[in-house]
Amino acid sequence: MPASCFPLTNSNPTEAFLAATRTLAATRDRRFKYVLVAPSIFVLLLIGIFPLVYLVLVSFQNITMTDMDTSFQGLLNYREMIRSTRMWESLLHTVIFTAIALPVELVLGLAMAQLFIDRIPGRQVFVALLVLPVVISPIVAGATWSLMFDNRFGPINQIIGWLIGGEATILWTINPNLVYPAILVAEIWQWTPFMFLLLLAALSAVDKSQLEAASIDGAGWWRTFFRIVLPAIWPVMAIAILIRGLDLFRLFDIVWALTRGGPGTMTETISIFAYVKGFQQFDTSFTAAVALLIIVLLSIVVMLALKRVELAR
Amino acid sequence: MKQAQFGLRAAAALFAAVTLAWSTGAAAQSAAQRAVDAAKPLCAGGKTITIVWEAGLQSLDPLNFSGPKWEQLTGCKVKVVEAPVSEMFTKIMQEFRAGTGAYDALNVIPAWMPDLAQAGALEVLDPYVEKYGYAKELQSIAATYRDNQMKVNGKIYGFPDDGDVFVFYYRKDLFARDDLKKAFKAKHGYDLAPPKTWKQFGEIGAFFTEALKSEGIYGASMFREAGYGNFMFQERFRNEGGKFFDANMKATVNSPEGVKVLTEWRNENKFMPPGVEKFGFVENLAVFLEGKSAMTISWPPYGRFAAGYLSEEKALSWVPKSKIAGKVGYTLPPGGHPELAAGFALSVAAGSKQKEAAYLFIQWLNSEETSNQRVQLPYALRDPFRDSHFTNPGYLKLWPDAKDYLAALQAASKTGLLDLSLIQTDKYEEALRQGISRLWAGEDPKKILDDIAKQWDEITAKVGVDKQKAVYSAWAAKSGAYPK
Repeated sequence: MPASCFPLTNSNPTEAFLAATRTLAATRDRRFKYVLVAPSIFVLLLIGIFPLVYLVLVSFQNITMTDMDTSFQGLLNYREMIRSTRMWESLLHTVIFTAIALPVELVLGLAMAQLFIDRIPGRQVFVALLVLPVVISPIVAGATWSLMFDNRFGPINQIIGWLIGGEATILWTINPNLVYPAILVAEIWQWTPFMFLLLLAALSAVDKSQLEAASIDGAGWWRTFFRIVLPAIWPVMAIAILIRGLDLFRLFDIVWALTRGGPGTMTETISIFAYVKGFQQFDTSFTAAVALLIIVLLSIVVMLALKRVELAR
Repeated sequence: MKQAQFGLRAAAALFAAVTLAWSTGAAAQSAAQRAVDAAKPLCAGGKTITIVWEAGLQSLDPLNFSGPKWEQLTGCKVKVVEAPVSEMFTKIMQEFRAGTGAYDALNVIPAWMPDLAQAGALEVLDPYVEKYGYAKELQSIAATYRDNQMKVNGKIYGFPDDGDVFVFYYRKDLFARDDLKKAFKAKHGYDLAPPKTWKQFGEIGAFFTEALKSEGIYGASMFREAGYGNFMFQERFRNEGGKFFDANMKATVNSPEGVKVLTEWRNENKFMPPGVEKFGFVENLAVFLEGKSAMTISWPPYGRFAAGYLSEEKALSWVPKSKIAGKVGYTLPPGGHPELAAGFALSVAAGSKQKEAAYLFIQWLNSEETSNQRVQLPYALRDPFRDSHFTNPGYLKLWPDAKDYLAALQAASKTGLLDLSLIQTDKYEEALRQGISRLWAGEDPKKILDDIAKQWDEITAKVGVDKQKAVYSAWAAKSGAYPK
């Protein structure tokens, strides 16, 4: 223990000794705590960091289905990735899905939450029913919608057939003009209730007295919504947007069940592209490079989003 | 001395007789029995053999029949890992890369064999074949399967175990109707009969639809969904004279033959049921069994299902009731060279910790004795692949037209065309599948095929032109690669 640890200004040597002992004990106590938590932190870091480090490592090798070439290949996979028009197209498709589905889910979820904020009869039953799609596995939801859109037995074509008074053979998942709407309908059906639930909770927490005050002051519905309700629910709404945005960026199951990325690669998302390359064609190192790109892109988006909503603080 | 000489002769004669009796007995012992006898001591500790099998009807074979029987005979339990065909390759490769030794035996589509063998995922079976005297029974596997779907670079990696081949099914009753025969001859100038060429197919199909649409019958229905269309394209393209690659390993799939096939497909859809673009195995089966289509092409089970063979079987409850039993004829598809589409071979996983026991199980499964029972299971989908299966007296009597059915399968197996099999086959097939789905989205056939050829050349370049050329040359030299 260095001498500087002992306070020299204290006139009573006994008190000074006791104070020094207390400081020492506190320091030891703090260190002991660190020692206790160190293994857990080490394991957590190992679990979190190791796969990332390994991913980076593999992305600089050339492991394929038939070759376990672990020699350093420089930027080979990154060059190939940048040149891959299919990869960029799949990224664009992902952005399109996200850009359309996210606002629609938000607006619909908010509208439904606004509707159910009032104590209407049968509210609990309706809310429970509305939430059902969220609890279904996305691949099951995709398979269900695949049946719904089936041209021979699907109810959608059946209903259209009744309406037009003849057989309707609409190939929802093949026709290039209909395939995006079909996927988006399934996606929005499944995940709007998630938005609805979060926003319903947020709306329930809005201070009623402020709403009453606004009403007394003669503020209209829009004014009240934009000046009082929206600022109040914004933190929850921002998190909901972030979660759904990230989810949409990883969109896989519903598209896979409905189109497998087709026709051609017209609806292939970046997750499907990575799956096909990595787990069907075993271009392991190339897929590692793609995965790293996805991680980097998502990290940037998350950081910007958190900064924007000031939650990072 | 004489006595001693006599004793010596007697002993020699006795030895010779015993040796002869033993060798005759050994030769008489079937490969199935040899596998059982050899497996018994290995299974004494209560081993479990894990085998990867296609999910659904296919896996009812090991689950309901062969697995329990093997356990009863040897004491070895059989665990079946079910996977859809589209995921089997991934599962096998992932397990191999992980090195867990979780799988002992595998069902492998022969077109995958070069990839799996090169990756080291499959055990070379030659030493086992020799050790357990299976070479002779391998020779009685129908030549197409034996010569084309068993070896990579001269080594045995799998036993062909499923005679998958496309068969042309047609409505005998419609082709025999006098009014239709007369009208067809008047229109086209030749007799109404199952088509020998695709031109005839187009004419007959369009004629039937025109004549029978009011009765709810279309001229034909076909697999058009991209996954199945891949096989259909490979067959028809080669029947039209197309080659996949030229001498320099440059893709020639965009040749006039390829364009002709895609263009004709699109035209033919006009006389097929609406939405045929999405027809896979089940959709096409439903239409055909309901009697709504006069002609189709599919795998052998269609023939059994159409005949209504054991339609009361619980496992087949999903199959629509056949309204056309006794009305179906079987023959070769137009062009005469059907696709040996997919199929399965039995292999041993290189990572298995009990390869010997796994091998013995697949030898027993694949043997004359056991396979003759397995191909007749009503619920399973193993199709005849041994010479003896086509002439099995029991099979010939299963339904009234079974004789014609087996004759058609045997004929198809003799002229069948192999699926393209290269290094990274799935990448080539993926480009083809995507191209077919683009066709149904309305794109131009030539443009689609040019894109496919470009993608194929890129894949070849990445694999290595010389490396891939060697594999392709070996494949193209096989009897079933191109029509002879």
